[in-house]
Amino acid sequence: MSADLEFENLVRLYYRDLYRFGLSLTGSEADAADLTQETFYIWANKGHQLQNPASVKGWLFTTLHREFLKTCRRQNRFPSESIDERTEDLPNVPAECAEQADSRTLLRILGEIAEDFRAPLVLYYMEDLSYKEIADVLALPLGTVQSRIARAKIQLLRRLSDTNLSLEQAR
Amino acid sequence: MNTRIAKEILLLYRGPIDDSDPQFRAALDYAKSDLELGQWLREQIKCYDAIRAKLRGIEPRPELADKIVCRRPIPFPRDWSRISQLAAAILISATVTALLIKWSEHGNRSVAGAQEIFVTGEVLDMTCYIASNLSGPEHAYCAKVCIGNGEPAGIKDRDGKVYLLTGEPGQSINAKLADYAAQVVTIKGKKSVRDGFAQLQVEEIRKL
Repeated sequence: MSADLEFENLVRLYYRDLYRFGLSLTGSEADAADLTQETFYIWANKGHQLQNPASVKGWLFTTLHREFLKTCRRQNRFPSESIDERTEDLPNVPAECAEQADSRTLLRILGEIAEDFRAPLVLYYMEDLSYKEIADVLALPLGTVQSRIARAKIQLLRRLSDTNLSLEQAR
Repeated sequence: MNTRIAKEILLLYRGPIDDSDPQFRAALDYAKSDLELGQWLREQIKCYDAIRAKLRGIEPRPELADKIVCRRPIPFPRDWSRISQLAAAILISATVTALLIKWSEHGNRSVAGAQEIFVTGEVLDMTCYIASNLSGPEHAYCAKVCIGNGEPAGIKDRDGKVYLLTGEPGQSINAKLADYAAQVVTIKGKKSVRDGFAQLQVEEIRKL
Protein backbone atom coordinates (compact mmCIF):
# COMPACT_ATOMS: atom_id res chain seq x y z
CA MET A 1 0.00 0.00 0.00
CA SER A 2 1.38 3.44 -0.90
CA ALA A 3 2.19 5.89 1.88
CA ASP A 4 -0.49 8.29 0.59
CA LEU A 5 -3.17 5.64 0.65
CA GLU A 6 -2.07 4.44 4.05
CA PHE A 7 -2.30 8.00 5.38
CA GLU A 8 -5.74 8.51 3.85
CA ASN A 9 -7.04 5.24 5.33
CA LEU A 10 -5.73 6.20 8.74
CA VAL A 11 -7.41 9.62 8.54
CA ARG A 12 -10.75 8.13 7.51
CA LEU A 13 -10.53 5.52 10.26
CA TYR A 14 -9.77 7.82 13.17
CA TYR A 15 -10.59 11.43 12.34
CA ARG A 16 -14.07 11.27 13.87
CA ASP A 17 -12.83 9.85 17.17
CA LEU A 18 -10.01 12.35 17.35
CA TYR A 19 -12.31 15.23 16.48
CA ARG A 20 -14.77 14.23 19.22
CA PHE A 21 -11.94 13.97 21.72
CA GLY A 22 -10.65 17.39 20.63
CA LEU A 23 -14.10 18.92 20.80
CA SER A 24 -14.70 17.55 24.29
CA LEU A 25 -11.37 18.98 25.42
CA THR A 26 -11.66 22.40 23.81
CA GLY A 27 -15.40 22.93 23.41
CA SER A 28 -14.68 24.60 20.07
CA GLU A 29 -15.33 23.04 16.67
CA ALA A 30 -12.57 25.04 15.01
CA ASP A 31 -10.00 24.14 17.68
CA ALA A 32 -11.04 20.48 17.53
CA ALA A 33 -10.60 20.44 13.74
CA ASP A 34 -7.19 22.13 14.07
CA LEU A 35 -6.06 19.65 16.71
CA THR A 36 -7.23 16.72 14.58
CA GLN A 37 -5.42 18.07 11.54
CA GLU A 38 -2.24 18.79 13.47
CA THR A 39 -2.28 15.30 14.98
CA PHE A 40 -2.37 13.66 11.56
CA TYR A 41 0.41 15.93 10.27
CA ILE A 42 2.59 14.95 13.19
CA TRP A 43 1.80 11.36 12.28
CA ALA A 44 2.82 12.01 8.66
CA ASN A 45 6.22 13.21 9.85
CA LYS A 46 6.88 10.96 12.83
CA GLY A 47 4.54 8.01 12.53
CA HIS A 48 7.26 5.85 11.01
CA GLN A 49 9.00 5.92 14.42
CA LEU A 50 6.16 3.95 15.99
CA GLN A 51 7.36 0.40 16.45
CA ASN A 52 4.10 -1.31 17.31
CA PRO A 53 1.49 -0.72 14.59
CA ALA A 54 -1.24 -1.94 16.95
CA SER A 55 -0.78 1.13 19.13
CA VAL A 56 -1.57 3.68 16.40
CA LYS A 57 -4.86 4.72 17.95
CA GLY A 58 -3.29 5.29 21.36
CA TRP A 59 -0.43 7.21 19.72
CA LEU A 60 -2.87 9.51 17.92
CA PHE A 61 -4.86 10.21 21.08
CA THR A 62 -1.69 10.86 23.07
CA THR A 63 -0.45 13.24 20.39
CA LEU A 64 -3.72 15.15 20.23
CA HIS A 65 -3.79 15.46 24.00
CA ARG A 66 -0.18 16.74 24.04
CA GLU A 67 -0.98 19.29 21.38
CA PHE A 68 -4.02 20.38 23.39
CA LEU A 69 -1.88 20.84 26.50
CA LYS A 70 0.61 22.90 24.48
CA THR A 71 -2.22 25.13 23.32
CA CYS A 72 -3.44 25.49 26.89
CA ARG A 73 0.01 26.56 28.02
CA ARG A 74 0.39 29.03 25.14
CA GLN A 75 -3.03 30.61 25.43
CA ASN A 76 -3.88 29.89 29.05
CA ARG A 77 -7.43 29.55 27.80
CA PHE A 78 -8.51 26.62 29.87
CA PRO A 79 -7.60 27.46 33.44
CA SER A 80 -7.50 24.39 35.63
CA GLU A 81 -9.53 24.14 38.79
CA SER A 82 -9.03 21.23 41.12
CA ILE A 83 -11.98 18.95 41.72
CA ASP A 84 -12.92 18.31 45.27
CA GLU A 85 -15.61 15.70 44.87
CA ARG A 86 -15.83 13.13 47.60
CA THR A 87 -16.85 9.62 46.86
CA GLU A 88 -18.83 9.49 50.12
CA ASP A 89 -21.60 11.36 48.35
CA LEU A 90 -22.10 9.23 45.28
CA PRO A 91 -24.86 10.74 43.18
CA ASN A 92 -28.07 8.92 42.43
CA VAL A 93 -28.69 10.37 39.01
CA PRO A 94 -31.53 8.79 37.05
CA ALA A 95 -30.67 7.74 33.50
CA GLU A 96 -33.37 10.07 32.15
CA CYS A 97 -31.18 13.02 33.13
CA ALA A 98 -28.53 11.86 30.69
CA GLU A 99 -31.06 10.84 28.07
CA GLN A 100 -32.69 14.26 28.11
CA ALA A 101 -29.44 16.22 27.82
CA ASP A 102 -28.23 17.08 24.34
CA SER A 103 -24.62 16.85 23.24
CA ARG A 104 -24.20 20.64 23.45
CA THR A 105 -25.17 20.58 27.13
CA LEU A 106 -22.79 17.71 27.76
CA LEU A 107 -19.94 19.56 26.07
CA ARG A 108 -20.67 22.66 28.11
CA ILE A 109 -20.59 20.67 31.34
CA LEU A 110 -17.40 18.90 30.28
CA GLY A 111 -15.88 22.31 29.60
CA GLU A 112 -16.58 23.28 33.21
CA ILE A 113 -14.57 20.35 34.52
CA ALA A 114 -10.87 20.94 35.14
CA GLU A 115 -8.73 19.83 32.18
CA ASP A 116 -6.72 17.29 34.21
CA PHE A 117 -9.96 15.49 34.95
CA ARG A 118 -11.74 16.16 31.66
CA ALA A 119 -9.39 14.23 29.38
CA PRO A 120 -9.61 10.90 31.27
CA LEU A 121 -13.37 11.31 31.63
CA VAL A 122 -13.84 11.89 27.90
CA LEU A 123 -11.77 8.82 27.03
CA TYR A 124 -13.75 6.83 29.60
CA TYR A 125 -17.02 7.74 27.91
CA MET A 126 -16.13 7.91 24.27
CA GLU A 127 -13.52 5.33 23.51
CA ASP A 128 -13.45 1.61 24.09
CA LEU A 129 -10.19 1.88 25.95
CA SER A 130 -9.33 -0.05 29.08
CA TYR A 131 -8.20 1.95 32.11
CA LYS A 132 -4.63 0.87 31.42
CA GLU A 133 -4.91 2.18 27.84
CA ILE A 134 -6.36 5.49 29.06
CA ALA A 135 -3.46 5.76 31.51
CA ASP A 136 -1.00 5.10 28.67
CA VAL A 137 -2.60 7.70 26.39
CA LEU A 138 -2.40 10.36 29.09
CA ALA A 139 0.94 9.16 30.49
CA LEU A 140 -0.49 8.92 34.00
CA PRO A 141 -0.42 6.17 36.62
CA LEU A 142 -3.42 3.84 36.51
CA GLY A 143 -4.57 4.78 40.03
CA THR A 144 -4.48 8.49 39.21
CA VAL A 145 -6.54 7.94 36.08
CA GLN A 146 -9.20 5.96 37.91
CA SER A 147 -9.40 8.44 40.75
CA ARG A 148 -9.70 11.35 38.30
CA ILE A 149 -12.40 9.59 36.29
CA ALA A 150 -14.39 8.82 39.43
CA ARG A 151 -14.22 12.40 40.72
CA ALA A 152 -14.94 13.94 37.35
CA LYS A 153 -17.84 11.57 36.76
CA ILE A 154 -19.43 12.56 40.05
CA GLN A 155 -19.09 16.19 39.09
CA LEU A 156 -20.51 15.59 35.61
CA LEU A 157 -23.52 13.71 36.97
CA ARG A 158 -24.19 16.35 39.61
CA ARG A 159 -24.06 19.16 37.06
CA LEU A 160 -26.24 17.18 34.70
CA SER A 161 -28.76 16.66 37.46
CA ASP A 162 -28.66 20.39 38.38
CA THR A 163 -29.15 21.37 34.73
CA ASN A 164 -32.21 19.11 34.43
CA LEU A 165 -33.59 20.47 37.66
CA SER A 166 -33.27 24.06 36.46
CA LEU A 167 -34.91 23.15 33.15
CA GLU A 168 -37.82 21.51 34.94
CA GLN A 169 -38.24 24.50 37.22
CA ALA A 170 -38.23 26.83 34.23
CA ARG A 171 -41.10 24.89 32.59
CA MET B 1 -17.09 -5.82 50.90
CA ASN B 2 -20.09 -3.68 51.81
CA THR B 3 -22.55 -1.62 49.77
CA ARG B 4 -20.53 1.60 50.06
CA ILE B 5 -17.27 0.03 48.90
CA ALA B 6 -19.03 -1.89 46.12
CA LYS B 7 -20.67 1.34 44.96
CA GLU B 8 -17.36 3.19 44.91
CA ILE B 9 -15.82 0.44 42.78
CA LEU B 10 -18.82 0.12 40.47
CA LEU B 11 -18.97 3.85 39.86
CA LEU B 12 -16.36 3.18 37.16
CA TYR B 13 -18.05 0.08 35.75
CA ARG B 14 -19.18 0.62 32.16
CA GLY B 15 -20.84 -2.65 31.33
CA PRO B 16 -19.57 -5.51 29.14
CA ILE B 17 -16.37 -3.63 28.20
CA ASP B 18 -15.22 -3.92 31.84
CA ASP B 19 -16.38 -7.49 32.44
CA SER B 20 -12.91 -8.89 31.98
CA ASP B 21 -11.39 -6.38 34.42
CA PRO B 22 -10.79 -8.28 37.70
CA GLN B 23 -11.13 -5.15 39.85
CA PHE B 24 -14.92 -5.24 39.31
CA ARG B 25 -15.51 -8.95 39.87
CA ALA B 26 -16.10 -9.00 43.63
CA ALA B 27 -18.24 -5.85 43.57
CA LEU B 28 -20.37 -7.21 40.72
CA ASP B 29 -20.93 -10.43 42.66
CA TYR B 30 -21.90 -8.39 45.71
CA ALA B 31 -24.39 -6.36 43.64
CA LYS B 32 -26.21 -9.57 42.72
CA SER B 33 -27.14 -10.07 46.35
CA ASP B 34 -28.00 -6.42 47.11
CA LEU B 35 -31.20 -5.38 45.33
CA GLU B 36 -30.79 -1.67 45.94
CA LEU B 37 -27.19 -1.70 44.75
CA GLY B 38 -28.20 -3.76 41.72
CA GLN B 39 -30.87 -1.19 40.84
CA TRP B 40 -28.32 1.67 41.28
CA LEU B 41 -25.85 -0.19 39.07
CA ARG B 42 -28.38 -0.71 36.25
CA GLU B 43 -29.30 2.95 36.37
CA GLN B 44 -25.68 4.08 36.28
CA ILE B 45 -24.90 1.80 33.30
CA LYS B 46 -27.93 3.23 31.46
CA CYS B 47 -26.67 6.69 32.32
CA TYR B 48 -23.20 5.81 31.00
CA ASP B 49 -24.67 4.45 27.76
CA ALA B 50 -26.80 7.56 27.25
CA ILE B 51 -23.87 9.95 27.76
CA ARG B 52 -21.62 7.85 25.56
CA ALA B 53 -24.21 7.74 22.77
CA LYS B 54 -24.67 11.51 22.91
CA LEU B 55 -20.95 12.19 22.77
CA ARG B 56 -20.28 9.63 20.07
CA GLY B 57 -23.14 11.06 18.05
CA ILE B 58 -21.15 14.24 17.45
CA GLU B 59 -19.99 14.36 13.84
CA PRO B 60 -17.24 16.55 12.42
CA ARG B 61 -17.86 18.50 9.24
CA PRO B 62 -17.75 16.04 6.33
CA GLU B 63 -15.02 17.95 4.51
CA LEU B 64 -12.57 17.65 7.43
CA ALA B 65 -11.13 14.29 6.31
CA ASP B 66 -10.60 15.54 2.73
CA LYS B 67 -8.98 18.72 4.02
CA ILE B 68 -6.53 16.73 6.18
CA VAL B 69 -5.69 14.35 3.33
CA CYS B 70 -5.27 17.11 0.72
CA ARG B 71 -3.02 19.27 2.89
CA ARG B 72 -0.87 16.43 4.08
CA PRO B 73 2.76 17.53 4.45
CA ILE B 74 5.19 15.60 2.31
CA PRO B 75 7.82 14.12 4.62
CA PHE B 76 11.47 14.19 3.68
CA PRO B 77 12.13 10.94 1.80
CA ARG B 78 14.50 8.74 3.73
CA ASP B 79 16.05 7.07 0.74
CA TRP B 80 19.58 6.35 1.92
CA SER B 81 20.96 5.62 -1.57
CA ARG B 82 19.78 9.08 -2.68
CA ILE B 83 21.16 10.67 0.47
CA SER B 84 24.55 9.04 -0.27
CA GLN B 85 24.41 10.36 -3.83
CA LEU B 86 23.63 13.82 -2.50
CA ALA B 87 26.52 13.66 -0.02
CA ALA B 88 28.91 12.59 -2.82
CA ALA B 89 27.67 15.46 -5.00
CA ILE B 90 28.25 17.95 -2.16
CA LEU B 91 31.76 16.58 -1.59
CA ILE B 92 32.69 16.84 -5.28
CA SER B 93 31.19 20.31 -5.50
CA ALA B 94 33.16 21.46 -2.41
CA THR B 95 36.40 20.08 -3.86
CA VAL B 96 35.83 21.82 -7.19
CA THR B 97 34.98 25.08 -5.40
CA ALA B 98 38.15 24.88 -3.31
CA LEU B 99 40.23 24.33 -6.46
CA LEU B 100 38.53 27.24 -8.21
CA ILE B 101 39.16 29.52 -5.22
CA LYS B 102 42.81 28.56 -5.22
CA TRP B 103 43.00 29.20 -8.96
CA SER B 104 41.15 32.48 -8.50
CA GLU B 105 43.64 33.57 -5.80
CA HIS B 106 46.34 33.05 -8.34
CA GLY B 107 44.48 35.07 -11.01
CA ASN B 108 43.54 37.88 -8.66
CA ARG B 109 47.02 38.89 -7.66
CA SER B 110 46.46 42.02 -9.72
CA VAL B 111 44.14 43.27 -6.94
CA ALA B 112 47.25 43.81 -4.86
CA GLY B 113 48.07 46.75 -7.04
CA ALA B 114 44.52 48.01 -7.21
CA GLN B 115 43.38 51.48 -6.26
CA GLU B 116 42.39 52.02 -2.62
CA ILE B 117 39.11 53.96 -2.29
CA PHE B 118 36.29 54.81 0.13
CA VAL B 119 32.72 54.07 -0.94
CA THR B 120 29.70 55.24 1.05
CA GLY B 121 26.34 53.66 0.33
CA GLU B 122 23.83 50.93 1.07
CA VAL B 123 25.00 47.34 1.50
CA LEU B 124 23.04 45.25 -1.03
CA ASP B 125 22.06 41.65 -1.39
CA MET B 126 23.16 41.49 -5.04
CA THR B 127 20.98 38.56 -6.02
CA CYS B 128 17.71 40.22 -4.99
CA TYR B 129 18.90 43.64 -6.15
CA ILE B 130 19.83 42.61 -9.68
CA ALA B 131 17.05 40.07 -10.17
CA SER B 132 14.18 41.95 -8.50
CA ASN B 133 15.48 45.47 -7.74
CA LEU B 134 14.98 44.87 -4.01
CA SER B 135 16.85 47.07 -1.54
CA GLY B 136 16.24 49.46 1.35
CA PRO B 137 14.88 48.92 4.86
CA GLU B 138 11.86 46.87 3.65
CA HIS B 139 14.26 44.30 2.30
CA ALA B 140 16.68 44.41 5.24
CA TYR B 141 15.71 41.10 6.79
CA CYS B 142 15.86 39.17 3.51
CA ALA B 143 19.16 40.83 2.65
CA LYS B 144 20.64 39.87 5.99
CA VAL B 145 19.57 36.24 5.55
CA CYS B 146 20.74 36.03 1.93
CA ILE B 147 24.12 37.61 2.57
CA GLY B 148 24.53 35.52 5.72
CA ASN B 149 23.86 32.44 3.60
CA GLY B 150 26.65 33.31 1.19
CA GLU B 151 24.79 35.18 -1.57
CA PRO B 152 26.94 37.88 -3.20
CA ALA B 153 26.90 41.27 -1.44
CA GLY B 154 27.44 44.69 -2.95
CA ILE B 155 27.43 48.38 -2.18
CA LYS B 156 25.68 51.12 -4.12
CA ASP B 157 27.27 54.53 -3.77
CA ARG B 158 25.45 57.87 -3.82
CA ASP B 159 25.98 58.20 -7.56
CA GLY B 160 24.27 54.84 -8.16
CA LYS B 161 27.44 52.92 -8.96
CA VAL B 162 27.36 49.35 -7.65
CA TYR B 163 30.45 47.41 -6.47
CA LEU B 164 30.64 43.71 -5.78
CA LEU B 165 32.05 43.31 -2.26
CA THR B 166 34.60 40.58 -1.62
CA GLY B 167 37.02 39.61 1.11
CA GLU B 168 40.62 38.62 0.84
CA PRO B 169 40.99 35.98 -1.90
CA GLY B 170 39.63 32.69 -0.56
CA GLN B 171 38.00 34.29 2.47
CA SER B 172 34.33 35.08 2.73
CA ILE B 173 33.30 38.39 4.22
CA ASN B 174 29.58 37.62 4.11
CA ALA B 175 29.21 36.98 7.84
CA LYS B 176 30.54 40.46 8.58
CA LEU B 177 28.56 42.17 5.80
CA ALA B 178 25.30 40.47 6.86
CA ASP B 179 25.30 42.66 9.98
CA TYR B 180 25.20 45.74 7.76
CA ALA B 181 22.64 44.47 5.26
CA ALA B 182 20.51 47.34 3.87
CA GLN B 183 22.39 49.86 6.04
CA VAL B 184 24.42 52.82 4.82
CA VAL B 185 28.11 52.36 5.58
CA THR B 186 31.49 53.55 4.38
CA ILE B 187 33.77 50.83 3.11
CA LYS B 188 37.46 51.22 2.60
CA GLY B 189 38.74 48.76 0.02
CA LYS B 190 40.68 47.99 -3.09
CA LYS B 191 38.81 48.66 -6.28
CA SER B 192 39.33 46.60 -9.41
CA VAL B 193 37.36 46.50 -12.63
CA ARG B 194 37.02 43.68 -15.12
CA ASP B 195 34.80 43.80 -18.20
CA GLY B 196 33.14 46.92 -16.82
CA PHE B 197 32.20 45.22 -13.56
CA ALA B 198 33.55 46.84 -10.38
CA GLN B 199 34.72 44.91 -7.37
CA LEU B 200 35.69 46.25 -3.97
CA GLN B 201 37.90 44.07 -1.81
CA VAL B 202 36.84 45.11 1.68
CA GLU B 203 39.47 46.24 4.17
CA GLU B 204 37.38 48.18 6.63
CA ILE B 205 33.70 48.88 7.24
CA ARG B 206 32.49 51.96 9.07
CA LYS B 207 28.88 52.43 10.05
CA LEU B 208 27.65 55.98 9.51
